[in-house]
This record gives sequence, C-alpha cells and structure tokens, in this order.
Amino acid sequence: MSKMKELSKGLFKDNPIFVLMLGLCPVLGVSTQVSNAIGMSAGVMFVLLFSNMIISALRKIIPASIHIPAYIVVIASLVSFIQMVMHAYVPSVYNALGVYLPLIVVNCIILGRAEAFASKNTVVDSMLDAIGMSIGFALGLTLIALIRELFGSGTITLFPMGNFSGVINIPWFYDNPIRVFSLAPGALLIMGFLKAFFDWNSSRKKDK
Amino acid sequence: MTKNIKYGLILLSICAVSAFALALTNSITAPVIQHYEFEQRQLALTAVSNGYAIGSEKPVEADPYVTYTIDLTDDGQLAGYIVGLKSAGYGGQMTLVASYKVSGEMMFAQLLTHSETPGLGAKAAETSYMEKFQGTGDDTPVPTDKTMLTDAEAQAVSGASITFGAVSRAIEAGSTYVKNLGGVK
Repeated sequence: MSKMKELSKGLFKDNPIFVLMLGLCPVLGVSTQVSNAIGMSAGVMFVLLFSNMIISALRKIIPASIHIPAYIVVIASLVSFIQMVMHAYVPSVYNALGVYLPLIVVNCIILGRAEAFASKNTVVDSMLDAIGMSIGFALGLTLIALIRELFGSGTITLFPMGNFSGVINIPWFYDNPIRVFSLAPGALLIMGFLKAFFDWNSSRKKDK
Repeated sequence: MTKNIKYGLILLSICAVSAFALALTNSITAPVIQHYEFEQRQLALTAVSNGYAIGSEKPVEADPYVTYTIDLTDDGQLAGYIVGLKSAGYGGQMTLVASYKVSGEMMFAQLLTHSETPGLGAKAAETSYMEKFQGTGDDTPVPTDKTMLTDAEAQAVSGASITFGAVSRAIEAGSTYVKNLGGVK
C-alpha cells in the first residue's frame, strides 16, 4: 500500500469510529462538548503515534507470547506521561477529560492498531497509520460532539482564550435545546445515524 | 526455562525504561501541579470568603464529610466559616469548599477536585451549579433531593443524580457541622 493510502485509509475507508467501530466508550462518553472531543483526540493522537512508533521499533525484540503485556506497559506509560503533562500544563483540558484520559489505556484503537498494524510494519508506515487513524478518530468524535452539543445545549464549547469565554451560543438552538442529545441515549442515536450514513455511503460506492 | 528468563528480562527492561521515563516526567511536572493546585485552592478560598478575612486552617478528623474549617472574620468578629468537604461522587472522591454564616446558612461553594463525567457530573464545577444551594442550611433546608428543586434546576442536574446527591449531602453536612460549632450566640 502506498504511503498516501496508509495515511488516508483511517479518514473514511477504515475510519476507526464508523467503520472499525473501535474506541466507542470514550466516544460516547466525552462527546457532550466539542472541547472535550478536541482534548480527547489530542490525547489519543499522542498515545497512538508514540505507541505505534515504539511497538513497531521493538517488534523484532518482543516475542509473540509476551506481546500483550509488553504493549500494555508501553501504552500505559504513554498515557501516564500525557496525563502528568496535561495536568501540569493544560489543567483545563485535564479537568474536562476527567476519567476518560486514563481510560485511553484501554481504548481499543490503541491496542488494536498496535496488534493489527504496528507489530507487523515499519516505523514509518506505523506512524502514517497512527496519524491517519488519529485524524479519523478526531473527525468522527468532533462530528458527534458538534451535533450533540448543538442540538442538546445550543452551544459550541471551545477553549477560553483572552476575553473569549470559549462558549459560543447558537441562536434558536440555545433557546430550544433537545436535552436527550446531551444524555447517553443521544450519543447512541447520533452514533447510529452516522454509522448508517457511512454504511450507505460505502455500499453506494461499491455499487458504482 | 531459559526462554522464560529471557522473556522475563525483556519485560523487565521495558518496565524499567518506562518507570525511569515516568519518574523523570513526574519530577518535572509534580512541582508545577502542586503549585497549580495550591493556587486553585487559594482562589477558591478567596471566591467563597464573601470578602471576610480568612483565618488559618483547623483540620477535622473522624468526620465523613468535613476535612477542615477556617474561621471567617469581619473586623475581628467571627462572621462565618469556610468548610473543606469531601464526598463520594460518580467517578470517585470529590472535594469542595463551602462558606457558611455562623447560623449554618451556606454562602458560596466551589468544587475543587473531582473525576465526574465530562458534560454531566462535571457540570458541578461550574459556578452556576452551586447557586441552587445558596441561602440554604438555616431556615431553608439544603436541597438533597431533586424534588426540592425548581424544574429548571432539576433539569440542570438531570443525568447526574449521583453527583448532585454527593454535592448536596456534603453541603448539608457542612451546614450541620457549622451549627454544632456553636457560632450562634
């Protein structure tokens, strides 16, 4: 597979959320606000990139029979690292992500890509895979968060900067929120509709 | 046997490198985190003090909710207390500070640390969340059940009942503790 295809496959064709259906727990959990989605995506991107790089570099050293504990140590260490760094330097994002930040350790995307890709491919290819998958994850998560927050609260929450509070109130939606979108059933509904759209789109392309 | 030792050494090496890297990161970030948490606590104490002078912290032991109290004084006269509180939320322990008049009436409260669900229980960290408890604890009971709230307030805590229960019980316990201090003459 060409380098470009390696990079782009995670965006739509093998999108981790809507096609591979990986890492859905944090997707459903943190997608209540756009800022949470961006913070979570950044965390996953960092951990996925470095775990793919390290695991790919060590693939000939780590024997098959101990690969899972070895991968878990690498991934857990990277998550602990990003947790400490976020707590120290971006505490607002750290607080916003709450329990979902340490839960990146058990995010299926990270272990899934380590097992399915990084353990069998070169460091460069593994990096491209991680970047593509991370962007695909970020796009999917942010899209779900945008729809949920817009309909559920009538706002778009970004990060506060200077005089900007970080919250954009959207006229009409702000005065008429559909609360179910902010709650767990809303996450499942949006997820279901977007999954159906992706399936319809891919089957339409196959028919052509 | 030799194979097992080899596997063990490989795992040990990975763990050792990871532990060293994390220890190094911790040594850099821990002082920054400590400084940030100290600043946040000072800001929270100032925010809930209602402009009164803040005294020194008096630790409280053997209370399920109250961890410390701080006297609030106005021209040397006792005007109220800041109470450090802990409670069990949905994501684990949460800590908060609340200020009370000597009668046990809550003035202000602020969540300090928590692991509540973002977008749901984590809303308790917003300033507006604590407004529903202001003025309660003396003549008006602290709302510890959603039926004691207005429709709008109940809707604001929907989806996070455990968090609401944890916060309200802590605030109620703080109010009771302040009343028992005997500040009312």
